[in-house]
Amino acid sequence: MPELTVPSKKERLFPVRLPDISGDRQFQAAWLVLPPKFPQEGIARIRLSSDAVLRLPHVEGDGHLCLDGDPGPASGNTVEDRLDLLLRKFYLDFIDLWFTGELDDDFSEEALNYWSIHVFQSASAYDAVTRIYTVDTGFKTPRVYHARLLLPGRIVVAGENQSLADDFIASLGDKARQVCNVQVADIPISHKLTPLTWPCTESDLERLIDNRLSKSMLSKFGKKTRRRGRAVHRIVLLRAPGCSFGFLLSGGPPTVVERGRSKRAYPTRRMLPLLVERIDPLWSCGRDQHPEIVDRQQRHVLVLGAGALGSTVIDQLAKAGVGCISVVDPDLLSTANIGRHLLGAESIGRDKVSVLARRIALSNPAVKIHPYTVTAQSWVKKHTLAKVDVVIDLTGEPDVRWCIEHARKEYPCPLLIGWMEPYVAAAHACMLPSNKRWIFALGDPLESLQAVDWPNDVMQREPACSSEFQCYTSAAATHAVALISEAALELIDNQINNSVVRSWVRGQRFLDTHYSGLKHREWAEKAAPFDGISLERALHG
Amino acid sequence: MTTTKYGSLVESAKQRRLNRNKFVLDTALESLSALQNDLSIWARELHIANQHITVKQDQIDAAAEAYEQIANHLVSELKWELKDINIHPQGSSRTQTLIRSPNASKFDIDAVCQVNISRIDAHDPMSFFEEIGQALSKFEPEAKKRCWRMEFSGCCFYIEFTPSVPLSTIPAIALESVRYRPANNYGSTALAVVDRPTEYWKTSNPEGFANWVNEQAEKKLMLNLALESAALSMDFGITPVPSQEVPLSDTLRVAIRLFKRHRDMAVQKGNLDSEYKPISVIIVTLLTQCYEGLADIGETYSHPIQLLTDLAELLPGMIEERDGEYWVANPTVEGENFAERWNQDEGERKTAFDNWCDLLIDDLQSILKETNERAIQERVRQIFGCTGADTSGPKPSSGLAPSAPTHVVLPPATPGLA
Repeated sequence: MPELTVPSKKERLFPVRLPDISGDRQFQAAWLVLPPKFPQEGIARIRLSSDAVLRLPHVEGDGHLCLDGDPGPASGNTVEDRLDLLLRKFYLDFIDLWFTGELDDDFSEEALNYWSIHVFQSASAYDAVTRIYTVDTGFKTPRVYHARLLLPGRIVVAGENQSLADDFIASLGDKARQVCNVQVADIPISHKLTPLTWPCTESDLERLIDNRLSKSMLSKFGKKTRRRGRAVHRIVLLRAPGCSFGFLLSGGPPTVVERGRSKRAYPTRRMLPLLVERIDPLWSCGRDQHPEIVDRQQRHVLVLGAGALGSTVIDQLAKAGVGCISVVDPDLLSTANIGRHLLGAESIGRDKVSVLARRIALSNPAVKIHPYTVTAQSWVKKHTLAKVDVVIDLTGEPDVRWCIEHARKEYPCPLLIGWMEPYVAAAHACMLPSNKRWIFALGDPLESLQAVDWPNDVMQREPACSSEFQCYTSAAATHAVALISEAALELIDNQINNSVVRSWVRGQRFLDTHYSGLKHREWAEKAAPFDGISLERALHG
Repeated sequence: MTTTKYGSLVESAKQRRLNRNKFVLDTALESLSALQNDLSIWARELHIANQHITVKQDQIDAAAEAYEQIANHLVSELKWELKDINIHPQGSSRTQTLIRSPNASKFDIDAVCQVNISRIDAHDPMSFFEEIGQALSKFEPEAKKRCWRMEFSGCCFYIEFTPSVPLSTIPAIALESVRYRPANNYGSTALAVVDRPTEYWKTSNPEGFANWVNEQAEKKLMLNLALESAALSMDFGITPVPSQEVPLSDTLRVAIRLFKRHRDMAVQKGNLDSEYKPISVIIVTLLTQCYEGLADIGETYSHPIQLLTDLAELLPGMIEERDGEYWVANPTVEGENFAERWNQDEGERKTAFDNWCDLLIDDLQSILKETNERAIQERVRQIFGCTGADTSGPKPSSGLAPSAPTHVVLPPATPGLA
C-alpha cells in the first residue's frame, strides 16, 4: 500500500480499501492514520475524506472516525494485532453497517455533535452572533419576543426570565459592554435535528417559520426583506427535547469589527447556524436531573453567619438552585480567614457578605443574594421571618439562637442550626420543622448534643465568632459543609417532618491525633473504630 | 353518470382548488410534457423512496412471528372456545400502508382480538378488557385507551391487541349507550371495542375500513396498466400480517405511504407540531375517498405521477364541513368523525393540516421542477428522507473489503505535503 506522509503533522496516512459502491452512500476515500511516534505512543485511527463529514454518522469535523479500535500501546498487543483490530472494526462495525443503512438513525443520537460541526464549518470571524444562551426551559407553543444581543461578545441571551437574563448579562462583564435588541422566533420541535433534517437554506427555514407561527407572530417577527440595514437581527430558536438549534437570518444591522485602528462593517448575507446553550437553573444547577430545583427557585432562605462554614454552605445552596438567599454577618474579612473562607486575599478588609453576594451571584446567575452587614440580632430587630421559608443559623452564638426562637414564634418557619466542635471532631445539623421549637424548659440544648466532652483548655469557639478560633483545617471542615448543606436542602425541599439532629463524628484515632485523652460521649461511641460516621438522632426525644 | 358521495366531494375539491388557484402541480406536469420528458425518472425515484420506507421484510417477519405467538397464546389462555376467537391484523399492516419511521422509533402491528362472548358477559366491557389483559400477562402488556400494547426488548415493533366483540353481541339495553353505529354495507364486520375512558363499548370497524381501502385500491384509474392485486393468504382464525411491498402502479397505497412519510418528515424537520400533525387515519380516509371519487367520476390517468399529484392537490378540499364543524367521516361507522378534535382545539389541527398540504404540494412541485436526473434524485431523497435509498441492501462483502483498492485518493492538501 502506498504510504503518504503529512510532514507538518508528522503523521503517516495509508489508503484503506473501500468496497466498490456507487450512489449516494459512496464517499471518496478512507485512510489509516498513524500518529508520530507510533506504535510506542498514540493510537492508530481511521480518517475519511471530507465529503463524508455530516453525510456519514460518527465522522468528526476533521474526518476522523469515532471508533474505538486500536487498544493502544499499553494493551500489550503487537502492532499487527492493533492495526488488525482497528481495520476489522472499521469494516465490520462501520462500513458494512453504513452500506446496509443500519447507521442511518445514528445521527439523532449525537445530534448536538453534528450541529457543532455544522456551526463550526459555517462560522467566520465576522459573524453578528456567535452563540445563544437561553434562560428558560422553553414553552409548548411558539413565541416571538425581543432578546438581547451583547457586544462585543456577540452573544444573544434569549428566553423569558428577565431577572436571570439580567444577572447572567452582569456576569458576562466586558463581553456585554453594549446591549442591542434582537427579534427571536422561539419554536418548539419534537425531534432533534440532524444533517438529514435541519434547514439547509434560508428558504427552508422561512418555510418552517411560516408553518409554525401564527399570522400575528409572523408579522411581529417580520419577513425577509431586501432592504439594507434592517434595524434588528432576526434569530430563530428551534428547541427540541434535550437540545436546541439556533439560526441567525440574513439581513439586520452590519457587524462592526475592529481591526487594529480601523473598523469595518460586515453585513449578514446568509443564514448562520448557531450553538445554543442553556443557562436556566434546571440545566446549570442540575443538568436536568433534579426537578426539585423548580421549587427551590421559589424559596427564600435566611443564612445567619457567613464565616468559614456559612460562606461555603451558601455557595452550596446557590449551586443547588436555591432562588433567594439573605445573608447576615457583620464581620470584615481578615487575613486569618482566607485559609478557610470561600473568599480570598482579594477581599481582605471588605465586609464578607457584600463581597460574598457579588461573587456567588456572578458564578450562579440563578440565585439572588441579599447581603446584610449587621449582626443577626440587629437583623431580627428590623425584619420579620414573614417572607422567609427556611432559617439557617451558622453563627454558633447562643444569643442568636434565642433571638431566632423568638422570631419563629411570630412567624413559624423551619430552622437549621449547624455548628462544628473543635478540630471538626464532630459537626451537627439540627433540623426543626416550622412547628417545632428549639428551646424547651431546660434551655438551649446545643451543648448537650455534642459528641465529645471537651477539657477546659481546649478552646471551643463557634465558627463565626471572630474573636477566637478553634483549631481545624479547611479539609476537615468540608465534611461539616457537606453535612449541613445536605440537611439544609432537605429542609428547603420540605422533606423533614420531625426534629432531628444529624451529626458527623470522627473516630478515636482522629481524636487522639489532635488531643490526648479525648473520649466520645456515650451516644457517639459507635464512631470510635471508624475514621468518621454520620449519625441521626431524634431531637428532644 | 350518477354522482356518488365521493364523486361530489372530489368535484367540490376541484372547485376549491380552482378557487385557490392551486394548479401548481398540473402546471409543472404540463411544462414537463412540453419538454417531452417522459416521467420515468420521477417515477423511478418515487418508487425508490416508496421502497425505502417499507418496513424491512425480516422485521415484518419477526413482528408477524411475535404476533402469531401471542395470538396462539391468547387463544390457549382464554376461556372461550377456539371457534369463538378470531384474531386478525388491522390498521396500516392490513392495508399494506405500514411504513417505517424516519428515526429509530418502533412501528406497531395492530391486531383485533374478536371474541364471541355471551350476551351476559357483554354487560361488563371492562371485565372483558381485563380478561384479555390477564391472558396476555406473560407479555407484560400495557393498557392503552382501547387496546393492550406489548413491547419486546430489542425488537423494532410493538404489538397492540384490541379486545372486541361482534356488535351484534351487545344486548339491546347496553347498545343504547354504545357510541356510533356501523355504516350501511359494513354491518357484517362491525365490532364493539372497549373504550376505557368511558368504560363503555364503542363501535369500531377496522376490518370494514381495511376492506374499504383495499377495495378502492383495486379500482383502475390508470390507462394501460394492469394493477397487481396482492393475494392475501387466508388462514382459519388467525390472519397473517400481509407483505408490505407495494408497486408504484398501486397508486392509492403509494400515495398513502409517501404522504404519511412526508408528514413524518415534516414533523422531524420541525415544520409540523407533532401534537397537531394530521393523524394517519385522516390521511388514509381522505386519500381513499378522493381515489374512490375520482374513479366514480370516471377520471383516468396515463401515469401514476399524474394521479399522485392530483391526489395531493385535491386532498385539502376533501375535508367536509357539517354544521360549521370539520368532518372526516369514517365510511364504515356511521357518525364517527375522525376529525372530531379539529373542532375542539381552536383550529390548531386544521391549520397544521392545511400547512402540511401546502408543504406537500410545494415539495412535489420542487421535484417536478428539476429536470436533471441527479437533482431529481437529491430532491426526492431530501424530501422523503431517503438518503442512500438505492444502495442500502445486502452487505457488500463478507465483512472485509475486496482484496485490492478500487481507487486511491490522495489525502486533502496539507501545507508541506510533498
